Amino acid sequence: MQTSEASDKVSARRSQETSLQNDNKAAAASGTPRISIAVDDTRQVRALNVKAAVDNLSFYYGQHRALKNLTIPIADKQVTALIGPSGCGKSTFLRCFNRMHDLQPDTRYEGSITLHPDNLNLVGPGVDPIEVRMRIGMVFQKPNPFPKSIFENVAYGLRLRGVRNRATLAEEVEKALRGAALWDEVKDRLPDSALALSGGQMQRLCIARALATTPEILLFDEPTSALDPIATAKIEELISTLRDQVTVLIVTHNMQQAARVSDYTAFMYLGELIEFDEAAKIFTNPSKKATEDYITGRYG
Amino acid sequence: MLTDPIEGHTAKAFDTALAELRLHVLAMGGLAIDQVATAVRALLDGDATLAQLVQTRESQLNKFERDIDREAFRLIALHQPMAGDLRMAKAVTRITIELERVGDESKKIARFASRLATGEPQGPVRAVARYLRHMAELTASMLREAVRAFDEADPKLAHAVTNRDSELDAEFAAALRQLLTLAMEDQRFLGATIDTVFALKGLERIGDHAKNIAEQVVFVASGEDVRHRPKA
Amino acid sequence: MSAVDIAPAYRDNAKLRRGLSRRKLLDRVFVVVGMSVMLICLAVLAVLFVDLVRDGSARFSWNFFMNFASRKAEIAGILAAWVGTSLIMLVTATCAVPVGVAAAIYLEEYAPKNWFTAIIEINVTNLAGVPSIVYGLLALGLFVYQFNLGQSIAAAGLTLALLILPIVIVATREAIRSVPKSIREAAYGLGATRWEVTKDHVLPYSTGGVLTGMILGLSRAIGETAPIITIGALSFIAFLPESPVTSEFPFVSFKWLSDPFTAMPIQMFNWVSRPDQAFQANAAAAGAILLCMTLMMNGVAIWIRFRFRKKINW
Repeated sequence: MQTSEASDKVSARRSQETSLQNDNKAAAASGTPRISIAVDDTRQVRALNVKAAVDNLSFYYGQHRALKNLTIPIADKQVTALIGPSGCGKSTFLRCFNRMHDLQPDTRYEGSITLHPDNLNLVGPGVDPIEVRMRIGMVFQKPNPFPKSIFENVAYGLRLRGVRNRATLAEEVEKALRGAALWDEVKDRLPDSALALSGGQMQRLCIARALATTPEILLFDEPTSALDPIATAKIEELISTLRDQVTVLIVTHNMQQAARVSDYTAFMYLGELIEFDEAAKIFTNPSKKATEDYITGRYG
Repeated sequence: MLTDPIEGHTAKAFDTALAELRLHVLAMGGLAIDQVATAVRALLDGDATLAQLVQTRESQLNKFERDIDREAFRLIALHQPMAGDLRMAKAVTRITIELERVGDESKKIARFASRLATGEPQGPVRAVARYLRHMAELTASMLREAVRAFDEADPKLAHAVTNRDSELDAEFAAALRQLLTLAMEDQRFLGATIDTVFALKGLERIGDHAKNIAEQVVFVASGEDVRHRPKA
Repeated sequence: MSAVDIAPAYRDNAKLRRGLSRRKLLDRVFVVVGMSVMLICLAVLAVLFVDLVRDGSARFSWNFFMNFASRKAEIAGILAAWVGTSLIMLVTATCAVPVGVAAAIYLEEYAPKNWFTAIIEINVTNLAGVPSIVYGLLALGLFVYQFNLGQSIAAAGLTLALLILPIVIVATREAIRSVPKSIREAAYGLGATRWEVTKDHVLPYSTGGVLTGMILGLSRAIGETAPIITIGALSFIAFLPESPVTSEFPFVSFKWLSDPFTAMPIQMFNWVSRPDQAFQANAAAAGAILLCMTLMMNGVAIWIRFRFRKKINW
């Protein structure tokens, strides 16, 4: 009974791993930058493509230096989590990726975030923030759907990009809603107001809205801190499945969530990167004492 | 929503990890059972090749123990299992210990078989061959049942295993009496007799390990810790 | 830390209970005072209205609405007056709302937070307190003579537009501010420009507030007498301005903008100042009608706010 089910799942996972190895071989051949992270105590090295390379990034609010020389590789089609105590700068760091800080006066970036394969510096002075935001999507902490219909919510990003054809819009909206595991629940009420949905559904709608524009990186800023456990579990599972389509960067103050969901975890404190490694390593045997203290709750 | 639970966990990666863990334990169990059967076969037939096979495969069992332990540890760290899932993860850690020790006992029996094949006197083994064969069948069956009980999470099956342990103990006592009689009559084969006693003891211990595994299965199913209960 | 054996006063339950009834009493006193003040105000309004209606009761008829002013009180009507008022309100609304909304959008969304913007903001709120006669004088010099608009509906409309501009700006700013930051962030996050955020989200969601502000402004303007007297509203008009809608192409005419005019408050003022007692009734009737118009406009404003609030709940 259970054995055949179980072996199906195991063989599915094995074939996933083989395809990952094939991707790596292709990447090695084409010369795209890769990161090498040691995996488990068996010290197998897994090379992965880098989607965004953060290099010596610093960020200033006026005179105050909020981020200090961060250097982190963000792996392609993987989930990277940022953890740390309040005020450590993880949300600040996240918002550098889609230039949300530019909406505030008197902010300044130093260093670079290089988006591959275009080699575009996301925080470069000559780069248009609007262009950056078109390629990098964001889901916020409190679900914030527009007070429009469900359809219009998801279609808004597409309309901004000049898509007018009704059929195309309908198709893309359906694709996005399916990608956000929401299609079955709302397919009969697309013209209804988005505000009539439950909290968990609203957040999935916001994810669908971000997915509709096929972003290259999807940023999540504490996406489930306002939701109940069942809605949280659904969204975590959704993020796991999104892994195959898009690179995910998630900020969370819930360490267990980071352990469940992420492939790579970065621990930040006071604007600095303390440790960055595979999630399994960070949560079972971190290298730095500060990380260990924070994860075990000895942080006082 | 809670009235119709979904198939498996919401987090599919967790589901997959649990399934893999289970599969690996079953594989390790299968290997351990095979080790026992092969070791006793080598002993009874005086087959040196089989004995060598058991000794070579022992390292596989050790690797299994390390790997499964690490896997269970990782599951607990990354997926925070609760209730039944947590009990399962903890039980797996104990079960791998038991299976690894089964492997150790089998290796010792196989080493004895190798020594027999290279000239050690076979008299004592011949004398208790019937008991050896019976105990081997019994203990292999207990192991198989225990592993099956784990697979199906069946506490009744587990209790059945626990009950059969006394049967095994009775067989061991009878074989020991036989050997003692033999030793007192003919003191030439004392060395081989002692070795045979150890082999019988090894089989008895394997039965104990099977019982321990069954106790872990009961723990997973009901949360009850039935270890070290006085025999009813 | 040693245990406290004597409970401090605020932990003595009996004393708390006694204090509680005193505090509740104060609570109730405030409610009573508030209610009575409100009832007094309503009573005054009601008495005024009833008085007006009684005094003007003789005049309420269809003819009163359709007649021009006349020397005979019995047949004097408010036709020119309410047509004039309506046309002036049309001009006022058309001028004040776009300018006011645009100014509010600029101040809220675009203006950088520096001393220059602060000065503008202070001035806007101060404008609301400027006496309306001053607006009239300004209009006389600027619209009537400088721009050569003459003593016309256009000038009157523009004057009143200036008058209610601060009201529209403040109401629109409040409405824009009530659109939460999270909605804007979501829109920016999708790659919208500042104008797209304003056009697609801020303005549509603040329409309720804007309309409310517009109607409140208009209900203030409808009763303003001083500025339109200053720019030359006539009080005895026996003709109507040219109709805005014509029967020939292009079906819309703007000649009425430059026609002389009168308005409801003017007509009332004129009738009240006459020695003939009979005209008092006319004035009272006109006043009652004006009051009704104002109350109706406020009612519409409240209804609009209610409708929009149902659709959008943050």
